[in-house]
Amino acid sequence: MNYPVWELYFSGGGLLMVVIAVVHVYVAHFAVGGGLFLVLTEMKAYREDDRAILAYVKSHTRFFLLLTMVFGGITGVGIWFTISLLSPTATSTLVHTFVFGWATEWVCFLCEIVALFLYYYRFGKIKRSSHLTIGWLYFIFAWLSLFFINGIIDFMLTPGDWLETKSFWDGFFNPSMLPALVFRTALCLFLAGIFGFVTTVFFAGPDLKNKMLGYCSRWLIFPLPVMVLSALWYLSVLPDTVKSMILEHSPEIAPALALFGGLLPVFLILALIMRLSIPARVQVVVAFACLLTGLVYMGAFEWIREAGRRPYLIYGHTYSTAVRVGEEATLYKDGILKTARWVQHRNLTPENEQKAGREIFRIACVGCHSIGGPINDILPLTVDYSMMGMQAQLNGQGKLLTYMPPFMGTGDERRALARYIVSGLHHRKETALEAGALNDIPMQPPAFDQAAAQYVLLAWKDKGMHGMTDSDRYWSFQPPGSSIYAQLVLRGETPEIMTEGVSIAYAVEEDHARPASQVEFWTFSKALTGRTIPAGTGMTGNTLDGHMQFDDNQMAFYAEHLPVVPYKNDGSFNPYPLVRLEARAEDTGELLAQTTLVTPVSTEMGCKNCHGTAWAVEGRTGIDDPTAASILAVHDRINKTNLLSSARKGRPVLCQTCHPGNLPHVRGKSEHLNLSAAMHGFHANYLGDLGDDACSACHPSSSDGATHGFRGIHREIELTCANCHFSLQDHALSLLAAEKQAGKNVRAGMLMRHLTSQAVDTPDLIAPRTAWTSQPDCLNCHVDFEPPETDQVEYGTWTETVDHLYRRRTDDAGLMCMACHGATHAIYPAMNPYGEYLNNLQPLQYQGTPYPIGSNGECRVCHTIDMEDEIHHPNMLGEFRNTR
Amino acid sequence: MDPASLVPAPDAIPVHWGWLKLFLLTTFFLHLLCMNTMLGIGIISLFKSLFGRSGASEYNREISTKLPYAIAFTVNMGVAPLLFIQVLYGQFIYTSSLLMAVYWLSITAILIIAYYSAYLHHYAFDAAGPARAVFMAITVINLLVIGFFFSNNMTMMLSPEKWVRYFSSPDGTLLNLAEPTLAPRYLHFVLSAVAMGGLFMALVWRLKADGRASACQEKVKQSLNWFLGATLLQFGVGTWWLMTLPRHIVRIFMGGSAWATALFALGLLGTILSLIFGYKVRVRLCIGATLATILCMVLMRDLLRTAMLKPYFTLSMLETDPQYGSLVLFLIFLGIGGAAIFYMLKLAFSNNPEVGS
Repeated sequence: MNYPVWELYFSGGGLLMVVIAVVHVYVAHFAVGGGLFLVLTEMKAYREDDRAILAYVKSHTRFFLLLTMVFGGITGVGIWFTISLLSPTATSTLVHTFVFGWATEWVCFLCEIVALFLYYYRFGKIKRSSHLTIGWLYFIFAWLSLFFINGIIDFMLTPGDWLETKSFWDGFFNPSMLPALVFRTALCLFLAGIFGFVTTVFFAGPDLKNKMLGYCSRWLIFPLPVMVLSALWYLSVLPDTVKSMILEHSPEIAPALALFGGLLPVFLILALIMRLSIPARVQVVVAFACLLTGLVYMGAFEWIREAGRRPYLIYGHTYSTAVRVGEEATLYKDGILKTARWVQHRNLTPENEQKAGREIFRIACVGCHSIGGPINDILPLTVDYSMMGMQAQLNGQGKLLTYMPPFMGTGDERRALARYIVSGLHHRKETALEAGALNDIPMQPPAFDQAAAQYVLLAWKDKGMHGMTDSDRYWSFQPPGSSIYAQLVLRGETPEIMTEGVSIAYAVEEDHARPASQVEFWTFSKALTGRTIPAGTGMTGNTLDGHMQFDDNQMAFYAEHLPVVPYKNDGSFNPYPLVRLEARAEDTGELLAQTTLVTPVSTEMGCKNCHGTAWAVEGRTGIDDPTAASILAVHDRINKTNLLSSARKGRPVLCQTCHPGNLPHVRGKSEHLNLSAAMHGFHANYLGDLGDDACSACHPSSSDGATHGFRGIHREIELTCANCHFSLQDHALSLLAAEKQAGKNVRAGMLMRHLTSQAVDTPDLIAPRTAWTSQPDCLNCHVDFEPPETDQVEYGTWTETVDHLYRRRTDDAGLMCMACHGATHAIYPAMNPYGEYLNNLQPLQYQGTPYPIGSNGECRVCHTIDMEDEIHHPNMLGEFRNTR
Repeated sequence: MDPASLVPAPDAIPVHWGWLKLFLLTTFFLHLLCMNTMLGIGIISLFKSLFGRSGASEYNREISTKLPYAIAFTVNMGVAPLLFIQVLYGQFIYTSSLLMAVYWLSITAILIIAYYSAYLHHYAFDAAGPARAVFMAITVINLLVIGFFFSNNMTMMLSPEKWVRYFSSPDGTLLNLAEPTLAPRYLHFVLSAVAMGGLFMALVWRLKADGRASACQEKVKQSLNWFLGATLLQFGVGTWWLMTLPRHIVRIFMGGSAWATALFALGLLGTILSLIFGYKVRVRLCIGATLATILCMVLMRDLLRTAMLKPYFTLSMLETDPQYGSLVLFLIFLGIGGAAIFYMLKLAFSNNPEVGS
């Protein structure tokens, strides 16, 4: 934030460092090991009195000089140039901390130059012992150069006590300095052998070649065990956070780690091949194979070390965004644009949002990301994001996946950055549903003759807002499954809830009769659920028409898990399929009552906001294949699973097979977070600050969406999800707290770490909540059924058991709450663009108003007389307040 | 936009700035000697290749053996002042380097090309025949380009008021071409390189002449002519440079500051003395006067930098977080390194009855 940032696009993301640093480091290590190779090989020549070897050493020296002094020396300076251009802040810290370490290294460099010149130009012209002494001095100073640079390099990974003391010595003799020195020293000798192969195949005479290749191969083979052991030692001294970054968390490191370990046997094999009598041409090929493989190996090692520092440049001191530890709070509070020195757009306005976003991108992202370049290209990484998704990603960045630093800026800056990426880089336009896209569903409720009718059939679906996943070839967690309930009331002065002698038949409307042609759940049911479920059948065996069962406890009829999908037979989207019910006398078959209920179900789950680009159906709903695949890829990356590959082989996954849920016949694994805690906990880290929009990012509740699932009276009086459920972060925290209590400390703790409760001040006050059981209790606000004095549920007062849930409760007369008030999220009078009738079918059928059954004195719906007593619940006879 | 607001906050330094300034100026002085020699002998060699008459080949052969050394030591001696300037003026040089990042970073590649071309010139001296001039041309042109980039950076770091151009070109492609001092400053350094190159070759031929042929005497004179010509031109270029400097800066050297004025006077005196000694073919005295002149110029250059940055920064503003132990480490190694170099030279050039092959 102190320095300007070089706006590299294509060549950003560390490409310059890779190109310059890896080749330099390769040659520089050779410059050290090669020094020992020279002097020991020269000694070998004297010892064996072999002039051919001596001639070879001289040729090798010239190659060595031209490679190490010119290329190695200049690229070494090039690294300096590069790091000061890419990270002036971190470079400044290094230079100011280690100026005399570097100056000492410079002295060694000077001595190296002098020694090498003398060694080469005085070869054969001075006493053997003098020449060898100069050679030894070259090696000593070259190794000392390594010694000093190694300390400074490893300081960046493990600054150790320096963070507290700021002492030169603490920084230099940092925890990983010694193992790294041993490793690099062994590597130097190893590389000397590789370069020895190259010079041997070109410079050694035919008689000498095999002998020298055998000699060089020992330079490869002997250091190998030291490299392995010191690499393990190196790893063992790293702090746990760094270690887990390297071994588990960083997607950047995994390929490098595989190369780092996997290439060692390759070297061994190549070195052994060189000991065989093989044709000269093959020797050349193997020599270059070693050279190239060595470069890859070096690159892998340096990449691991560099990326292991994430999200820092200097671990615990300077983030990869050049923000220093301790500056975070200021940035969160005042923002990047107000804090950074090199900023043009200090004040963010709607007009300059994209330009300011570009500045923020330059300051906060360019350090690691290229645009369209080969390394860490931001374009494929963000191609799936909508504005909302991009902001969510930025919000969650650095919380769960710590290889990136958190986005340290204000919410407005986050939006500006998202604007630049989404609109500026991807030119993505956000298209809202066209006005008029959602129309009244033309229908009339069945007729009801209040004077003559003997029965009233009340029916509902248990969930007024119900999401369904239609990504079955990849994964599923909400298979088709709508549960409907009904109560049949015999009208009279004292009405009676019918419990026997009647049967109720249901039939989903014809337009929705072919779910198996619309979603692939049944194609993959065996892989998903472990059992083959016949096409068009629900998870409990119910089909689209049949007879309801009777529940004695609830005194209600029910049919669970009907395979209703929001797609008509022609493939068009309709989230409000209708179900026709007919109650008949069991003995005579006489039609007693009939009604129609709506079974809301929607595939409008906003996964694509972050994981994809498009809806699957009609541009407004459904999870398309790329989105579904992307979600598995993320899961695989974070959790080291192999779900995507498995799905692509025809074995999709049902989330509840690991994460316990509430689907019939699926148990899950108890050590895993339950599905609700995992989903809300993970996503709260990303979506947690979206306020009320957070819920509709995934659930079909948005007032801009295709479903408008949240449509009850609470919507009309402008309550939001948070009034009952609290913020997403609180919602998630409560679920996770329960999981923590259940012993899942690590998994829950990881998700909870960055969540902040808006409901309580301290984490210990977070009220645990059992998924699908502990829900908001209507009576918390509607105390004694009176008009509420608050529009916010009291925190922590969840329903205690499943039977306390609104969908399971009954009144004092045995009628279930939903029978008269409608389903959750669709409490009468409900309304959305699909029209008044659809949302209030039974009130309109039975009393001609959309208000709760029996409200405003409509007792005659069931009672044939006006009532004076509040039999069902207190305040029953009060005037309904929210009339239209 | 206030340019001062763009100047980054500096980090604390580990010892009193005086130490760092001492090392900066000392090592820069050594770098300048090497750099001038390197570029100067390159230019002379190229000129002789293109326009030289008889004897040019022998002259150039000598240069071809020296040039790779000169490049190596120029680079090495350049590392140290580049290190110390980052410690003292990092907030300026990091910024200016970044504004011209594309050019600044390209120096690495350009230098490698120049360096290898110099080696090619050396190793293929006979094999390539007159075509070797192509190698020397590649080396010299590349070195001149590098010098030009350095002049840009060294002037840009002194001019925060020009840094706002970054906002229209954040891609690292800014040069400081509108800077009035750029051209005379650059020319001044190139001319001093030619002069120093001539003087270096005069010394080379003088050392050879001490041992033998009188033909070398002629080459000594030829070399000194390069020195004299370039130095005489320097009066014009130096005056041009002075005239392009801001008035208040010039005044410092014209009586405004006794120390600066004395340095300026000593520099002039040294130049005149070196011309006289050069004219009289007194090589060692000429070298002595030239070294003294260059030392004065290095110190004046530092005063110029100090004066230019004064509105934004003075070294006394730097916080010190004392780490003198690391300074001691450096001084010890400086001693060990010096002794080792001396010892190696002694081993390499003492009489050796028994040879290695």
